[in-house]
Amino acid sequence: MYVFSIIVLIGLLAAAGLFLFTIVKLLWNAVKIPEKKPGLKLQLGRRIYLVIRNVFLQAKLFKDLGGGIMHALMFWGFIAFAAYSSDFLLSAIFPGFHLISGTLERVAFFTVDIFAMVVLLDVIHAVIRRWGIKIKRYQGYNGFEAWFILSLIAILMTTYFILAVLRLDHISQNIPGSIGESLVPMNTPISYALASVLPKISVSAGYYVYWTAFWIHALDFMIFLAYIPTSKHLHLFAAPFNVLFAKEDQAILKPIDFEKETRFGATDVRDFNWKDYFDFYACTECGRCTANCPANLTGKTLSPRDIIWDIRETLMAQGNEYRTKGGDRDQIFKTVIGDPIKEEDLWSCTTCMACVEQCPVMIDHVSKIVDMRRSLVLNQGKAPREVIDLTRNIEQYGSPYAIDPSTRADWAEGLDVVDLTKTPDAQYDVLYWVGCVASFDKRNQEVAKSIVKILKKADVKFAILGSKEKCTGDPARRTGNEYLADMMIKENVETLKANRVQKVITGCAHCFNSLKNEYKDFGIELEVHHHTEYINKLISDKKLNVKSIDSDTLEKYTYHDPCYVGRYNKTYEEPRDVVKTFALNYEEMEMNKSKALCCGAGGGRLWMEEKEGTMISHKRIEQADNVGASTVVTACPYCMTMLDDARKTTGREEKMKIQDVSELIASRIE
Amino acid sequence: MVDIVVLIKQMPDLEQVKPDPTTGEPQLKNVPLKLENLSENSVEEAVRLKEKYGGKVTAVIFGNEQSSAIMKKAYAMGADEGYIITGFKGNNPSLTAKVLGEKIKALKHDIVILGNQSADSISGLLGGKIASYLGIPLLGNANSIEVDGSTVKVKRALEENNQVIQANFPVVVSVTQEINEPRLPPVMQIMQAGRKPINTEAATITGREVRIISNKAPKSERKKIIFEDVDKGIAEVAKVLKEEMR
Repeated sequence: MYVFSIIVLIGLLAAAGLFLFTIVKLLWNAVKIPEKKPGLKLQLGRRIYLVIRNVFLQAKLFKDLGGGIMHALMFWGFIAFAAYSSDFLLSAIFPGFHLISGTLERVAFFTVDIFAMVVLLDVIHAVIRRWGIKIKRYQGYNGFEAWFILSLIAILMTTYFILAVLRLDHISQNIPGSIGESLVPMNTPISYALASVLPKISVSAGYYVYWTAFWIHALDFMIFLAYIPTSKHLHLFAAPFNVLFAKEDQAILKPIDFEKETRFGATDVRDFNWKDYFDFYACTECGRCTANCPANLTGKTLSPRDIIWDIRETLMAQGNEYRTKGGDRDQIFKTVIGDPIKEEDLWSCTTCMACVEQCPVMIDHVSKIVDMRRSLVLNQGKAPREVIDLTRNIEQYGSPYAIDPSTRADWAEGLDVVDLTKTPDAQYDVLYWVGCVASFDKRNQEVAKSIVKILKKADVKFAILGSKEKCTGDPARRTGNEYLADMMIKENVETLKANRVQKVITGCAHCFNSLKNEYKDFGIELEVHHHTEYINKLISDKKLNVKSIDSDTLEKYTYHDPCYVGRYNKTYEEPRDVVKTFALNYEEMEMNKSKALCCGAGGGRLWMEEKEGTMISHKRIEQADNVGASTVVTACPYCMTMLDDARKTTGREEKMKIQDVSELIASRIE
Repeated sequence: MVDIVVLIKQMPDLEQVKPDPTTGEPQLKNVPLKLENLSENSVEEAVRLKEKYGGKVTAVIFGNEQSSAIMKKAYAMGADEGYIITGFKGNNPSLTAKVLGEKIKALKHDIVILGNQSADSISGLLGGKIASYLGIPLLGNANSIEVDGSTVKVKRALEENNQVIQANFPVVVSVTQEINEPRLPPVMQIMQAGRKPINTEAATITGREVRIISNKAPKSERKKIIFEDVDKGIAEVAKVLKEEMR
């Protein structure tokens, strides 16, 4: 063993020690601070799949193609180099030792050689993206860290090439203690090309060049290792685990046990669980969430990235204090709401899930935002005026509207619909869950009537609950009033059970998501279909015959994805299939499917005023106008209300209509 | 420290009251009761004063068996103790004042707070009647209340001027809707409210009552004129309205 071997060994141990020390601190936080549990299920198969897909194949990164390519190349290069550098350092410590040999080594070297150049070019690509074309989402975030880490990577690649060229030129073979085995040109094509163009140097000059490059390479590696967990590059460690631990149902809310729990929602870092901590650790501040947030896109200060990062910073500071000084938890863990997270920002969220959808490392922003709303509402009774009114109405009338609940089914008068309030013993196969908006809002009653017409035409034996139907609790839930939501859900579950309901169809995206994904936590398993899905099935089963009408040649259609149908339930194609049964001119908007822009109404925002920035619905209607749509098709009463209003207030009343999928079908089946 | 008695009225939810199609009488059967809006403002103000100056809030409902849900709401908002007075169904503000006045006498009361008029009977008499029964001043139509030592200062918005009036404890204060925005009670308080005991007492006073002879929704015959020719515009509508007003 040489002296330098010992120095490398000591350096490496120190760097690894620093790395582990920071990681242990972070894990200590995640074990000691949280007072809540994530309740994860094992689901090993799904988790392996997720890691392969979202870590090794970098699948979610490609939702932003430019950034995705940049990152994926860097990531694959990183894996190749982690192997190379480990081998390099080991053979420096134990001369002559190699992790791999033979064909495997040759393949590895070939890969590393190619990736060294790819990564070097990719570093330039990254520099251009951040400082050249100045991509918006990077601006103002961690410029130094990015610069530092990119420099480390570039230096690592450059020194690799220097060392490889020296080996190809048979110089390092003459340097005592060097890693000097010959390289085969065909295994290291890029280095070989470089060697052929670079001027040859003498062995004595080579001696200095070799050791300079060697030490820079080794030191770079060590700095990298020690630096990772203290910066945004902690994601190198945390993101794979965060993907591994990811919840199956992101953004789906979990009930509160009011009998047992005493801390409602999330007030400070104690109220997030260890899985949430991994969310905070995994955040890289890439800003894809914020770049796709409808509130942020329309000039509001809400930024999902800042929400996550602010909690992370708070956690790091308070965790540090608690770890080093200990003491009264109530004193150390101060609320994150108000400072650094603004209350208005929490209320700006439409719970559209665009942030969650875009996040490459599978952070769940939405449930954290709702948890903080829960803290405000349940612990302090704090909410915007309109939310308090909404709450009162749901409490008093069982719907967001202050309208006599006994008139709930008035829209169905004369339509000969089986109403289980009036005829509780009636036989039926499917329950049509109407929802509050379609029951009470004039424009949306037209949708309810269309759905009835379609179901009747297709001979579906269906019934409605009439005035026994109550708000599903979704608006209360998303505005943080879990207590009220809990009451509504339990009441509805009783009603559904009493009426022996098994199969449900609904025209409301929010009711759909609640009944399908959230009611099972309250003891009822239902087969729930969104009306677009159901209508699509009726058409493909030939139960409905859709005819084109004269205006079809003139109309230009586009489809607006409701968030709770699309992102929440991955129903993207069925509504489009239905529209395409008759639409001759169809064009997608700029933001569609998983990237669709919200209408601005989710998360209880339908009942709140949008005071900050511009209206989300106006932005959406502009996008529809940009493709020249004369009919915007949608499939949710919230979207209908917002877009119909936007159409009128932006002066597009003459040239544009908003129609529900069901209305378009209802007018084409006779 | 201020000891406050807050008077709560329960009333049928007017949104859910429908006139009988034949008689025109309101159908009150099965209509849920609610905490009358101004009573909610009153409880809110009482609790805010308690939070600011310390003391105790006692709520009194002139009600029946169904009133406990409403009392729980007052508890959730922050009332410390509650009494439901039952057994008197009459409709006579003088007698109501007498029944409530008797109860108030038995309670510590620096300030008695109530709404300036209820949304169902709209007599607006109760505040004055109670003040006179107890022989204490009435500071009416308050849109803000301040306490300084044992002086209560009240701001009231009159039609043409804003007035500030004051009196020493004990006083009756009737409040307007503008005085505050009632809170959404935190869950812990709602849950604790459910477990808190409610005192129920029967009223012993009887007397003559004001009887409702008839209470009908006014009949409005709609003319159902539809203006289809949009080009004629507002002028046409105005013309028809003018003719109708003659």
